[in-house]
Amino acid sequence: MRILALLLRRLAWFIPTLLGLLAITFVISRVIPGDPVALIAGDTATPAQVEALRRQLGLDRPLPVQFVTYVTQLVRGDMGTSLYTTRPIADDLASRLPATIELTLAAMAFSILIGIPLGVVSALWRNSVLDHVLRVITVSGLAIASFWLGIMLQLLFAMRLGWTPLNGRLQGFPPTTVTGLYLVDSVLAWDWTAFSMALTHLALPAATLAFPALATLVRFTRAGVLDVMQSNSVLYEHAMGLPRSVIVWKYILRNALTSTVTQIGLLFGILLAGAVVTETVFDWPGIGTYAVNSIIRSDYNGVMGFTVWAGAIFMIVNVLVDIAQGFIDPRARPS
Amino acid sequence: MVSGAWFVLTRLCRDRSAMIGLILILALVLCALLAPVLATHPDDLFELHPAKRLRAPSAEHLMGTDRMGSDIYSRLLFGARITILIGIIAVGASLVIGVPIGLLAGYYHSWVSDLLMRVSDIFLAVPQVVLAIAIAQTLGPSLPNVILALSVTYWPWFARLVYAETRSLQNEVFVESTAALGASPFRLVVLHVLPSIASPIIVRASIGMGFTILTAAALGFLGLGPPPPTPEWGRTIAESREFLPDAWWYALAPGLAIFLTVMGFNLLGDGLRDVLDPRLRRDRGRG
Amino acid sequence: MTHARAFLALAAVFLVAISLMAMASPASAATRFVFANESNYDTLDPHAAFDVGRVAVRLNLYDGLYRWRDNPAVLQPWLAESHTVSADGLTYTFKLRQGAKFHDGAEVRAEDVRWSAERILALKKGAASLLATMIAPNSTKALDKHTVQFTLTKPAAIFLAAVPEVHVVNSALLNKHEKDGDWGGAWLTTNDAGSGSYQLSRYDPVIGFIAKRFAGHFMPWGPKYIDEIEFRHIKEDNTRVLGMIKGDYQGTGGYLPIDQVKRLRDAPNVKIVEQESMRIMMFQINNQRPPFNDVNVRRAISYAFDYDGFNKDILSGSVERNPVPIPNNLWGVPKDVKGYSYDLDKAKQELAKAKAKVDRPITVAYLTGFSQTEQAATVMANGLRKLGLETKLTSELWPTMVDKMKKPETSPDLVVYWISTYYADPHNWIGEMFHSGQWGTFKASCFYKNPRVDELLDVALKSTDRKVREKAYQDAARIVVEEAGGVWIYNTKYFGPWAKNLEGIRFSPIGNGQEMRWVYYQ
Repeated sequence: MRILALLLRRLAWFIPTLLGLLAITFVISRVIPGDPVALIAGDTATPAQVEALRRQLGLDRPLPVQFVTYVTQLVRGDMGTSLYTTRPIADDLASRLPATIELTLAAMAFSILIGIPLGVVSALWRNSVLDHVLRVITVSGLAIASFWLGIMLQLLFAMRLGWTPLNGRLQGFPPTTVTGLYLVDSVLAWDWTAFSMALTHLALPAATLAFPALATLVRFTRAGVLDVMQSNSVLYEHAMGLPRSVIVWKYILRNALTSTVTQIGLLFGILLAGAVVTETVFDWPGIGTYAVNSIIRSDYNGVMGFTVWAGAIFMIVNVLVDIAQGFIDPRARPS
Repeated sequence: MVSGAWFVLTRLCRDRSAMIGLILILALVLCALLAPVLATHPDDLFELHPAKRLRAPSAEHLMGTDRMGSDIYSRLLFGARITILIGIIAVGASLVIGVPIGLLAGYYHSWVSDLLMRVSDIFLAVPQVVLAIAIAQTLGPSLPNVILALSVTYWPWFARLVYAETRSLQNEVFVESTAALGASPFRLVVLHVLPSIASPIIVRASIGMGFTILTAAALGFLGLGPPPPTPEWGRTIAESREFLPDAWWYALAPGLAIFLTVMGFNLLGDGLRDVLDPRLRRDRGRG
Repeated sequence: MTHARAFLALAAVFLVAISLMAMASPASAATRFVFANESNYDTLDPHAAFDVGRVAVRLNLYDGLYRWRDNPAVLQPWLAESHTVSADGLTYTFKLRQGAKFHDGAEVRAEDVRWSAERILALKKGAASLLATMIAPNSTKALDKHTVQFTLTKPAAIFLAAVPEVHVVNSALLNKHEKDGDWGGAWLTTNDAGSGSYQLSRYDPVIGFIAKRFAGHFMPWGPKYIDEIEFRHIKEDNTRVLGMIKGDYQGTGGYLPIDQVKRLRDAPNVKIVEQESMRIMMFQINNQRPPFNDVNVRRAISYAFDYDGFNKDILSGSVERNPVPIPNNLWGVPKDVKGYSYDLDKAKQELAKAKAKVDRPITVAYLTGFSQTEQAATVMANGLRKLGLETKLTSELWPTMVDKMKKPETSPDLVVYWISTYYADPHNWIGEMFHSGQWGTFKASCFYKNPRVDELLDVALKSTDRKVREKAYQDAARIVVEEAGGVWIYNTKYFGPWAKNLEGIRFSPIGNGQEMRWVYYQ
């Protein structure tokens, strides 16, 4: 019941917040200099042709009218047409979404699979050399510019060692699209060349994207484990003679995992923000590069489309995390 | 207050990583202030020497030369000025905007506070870097516009923090009693609430410096920062890309500079947090 | 023991099965070629683009009446066998060869040629800007199945030079896919309606396209050829270079930074094809905006650019100084004109002589994403700074810049870019740059106006006598240089990286060697 009330209350604010976001983005995108109509019309169009095209695209009507038109279309599921690619924005976003999802999932897996164990280890062997080294790495994780990290990784692994490709998602055309995730699709097509190619292309961007998330996870896991280790229940178990390994796995890890779940929302935020810059460095054909390109090309609809998508996802994830938090730890339920 | 500050400082001195952070920050400030003196080739802020381009680090050029033959080390020092300027003004402006909004929203319990918090939610819904890119692109690449873009996108962090703190303080007895004694809202907020929440604000400001500097570098990297020949660190990294892997020093130097600077602010911020409010030690939020 | 034996037996069977499967998959005998292209192929419509960046589509999937080939570029009959010109120079009649077929089997007829020309004029994209100045809509006629006639609005010596840009499309096929009067444009963006040596098999606007050899092409194939060609969009220079070295690609664009060319020269499986090309880099000065309407100010700017520092040091001598607005290696260049040099004293003298005073920062614009233009702008700004003039550097994407350059009020003070070979005639450069009738096109962003120069350029355009044209262009060039209409920096060389075992590469400044039907592996 409390969950339902929370959900309803969040939903009530969801729409106005989204509208507000749209309004702000709308204003910003319309003020961006550079005339996208001229871009589409092409090198050789005369001013008269450009104006005709502007009328045709409805970009000559007053701003408030344009905004209302946009929102009403959005409600019907029409995100408009990209001024640059002349394809529907929804199609553009859909075709690029799998790339970002694959990258984000890979980065998340990377940071969770490495971060949590490292955090546990760091806590269990507190103040050891390993702990100090890890703490330096975690502090660095939030201090390194991700675009610079990406470039340095490229320099070492792709250029100097030649172990991975430099950028991009794949060489040439991908395996038959089923999910849009190249790793999955190549397995489904039993194309192992494509699988290994996709994997090597994913390595550096995923590592770059994962680094700050990894650092955060190690920190939180370490703090969480330390917390639990000092809690009364564990002391009791230890006093009762339970072996350390059992205590670790049974209590500490479980609690560490719970705190991680609550951090996933945070993690998601880091990853989404990081994706924009990382995708640009690695020429990754995802939503991030789409956003940056739309902005630079003054593709209004593209910018708006990205904002709607990003904003909606963000808010949904936040609500889900709040709910999950409420389920997992009743003490943490927001009042 | 003075004794409180002294207490903080002595506690801080015992925290080794915070001290490292402080040293790094002081080094940055020193580099920025004394750039013309510390630079081996101060004219290279503008001068070009195409014949000397892309030389490896040597005694004459401590960090090598860039694509125009200018000394990377000297330009890096001048770049420190830009970095500090951006950090201080952007975070300062976010503070000046965000704190009053947070106080207002926190103190009053009306539709005004809900509205203010919704507005800040809107700004937080999209990754800050994207919003900053959009604003910087709109206004045109230049130093003032980068600062503006960053200020406009960072204030919600302060607003939210202050809002939460103010709300929790309102239940404190001393606030209720002061209000009962007839103190005006303004007096109450400025003289009583503000000093109590100063600690978290300071901590967030320090961490915010690091975060802002990273975002500013990202904008510079994307070409949305101050135009050439400004020696902004992010832009320098972007310039270096086409000359890799041979001119590795070209990308390494500015990246390390950014890293050390942000690390400094982060370490100091963590140290301050540990000293000023040990309660917060656990919730190390991003940003 | 029995378990172990059973296991071993199973393993053996498994291994045999695997190796049989591996052997059974047919070893592919088809030869493949992959080209890494700097620009992306955002459309396959040959009438929507005109630029060198996307020329692979037009050269390989389509045919024109004539085709530019080799270096120096020569016009050769292609779909047309021959042509005649009327005495007044207004009527061009082309005789098509018989038996040429489109990819879908339909015959190429004069009607298709006529339709294609009309389509270009109607869509107003690509080569339309050039053709529209010479032929009017509905003036082209298909006299019979194999004869097509063009009627010019006025005599134009460059018509023949521009004819290769009339790529012939399958009119019947496009009429079938026509929608809302778009001449089949929406369909042709992602499909193939050509007759060229290669036929489209796969396309993605973000990735690129794959095409298979069209065995039924009218031009006979040699004994060796490439079965499948792929042109991929790879944005980063470094990726293209690494890919060439690794063997992922067998060809890429020939205008890489010289440091990268050096790396490729050292690679064992790459060869560099070096050719004189025709691609000028220059600063356009906005001649209409004060103080740049003062010839002394323009001369001062011309003396303020460090040509040698840029050409010899920054570009490591891979380019040639080109002091006039016509490529050095083309006819029409006045050989005695030395042009301007980097001389700050002379620049200061010119500034002193100028009536107009430069009292505001000069905007120097370069192209976003083209670091060479950024470096050129920086060098220019440095020179101007030494003269005591303030500068402001700005950058735009090329399409945005093109839009700004359409009007003198919005065009930047100084803007740096290249003009490539759209057709091999001086008119492609000096004619389209300095004739006042060309204002509004991206080549004429200098907004120069001199009636005497206009006169000379008109004469050159009308006449078909090479000697007359040559003299006219030389005289025009002399005046324009004297008046410092712009700052001309270099003419580039082509350094084409190709796989070492490739033969038959035919470079021409218009096609950049991307006509793949002649190429084969040793």
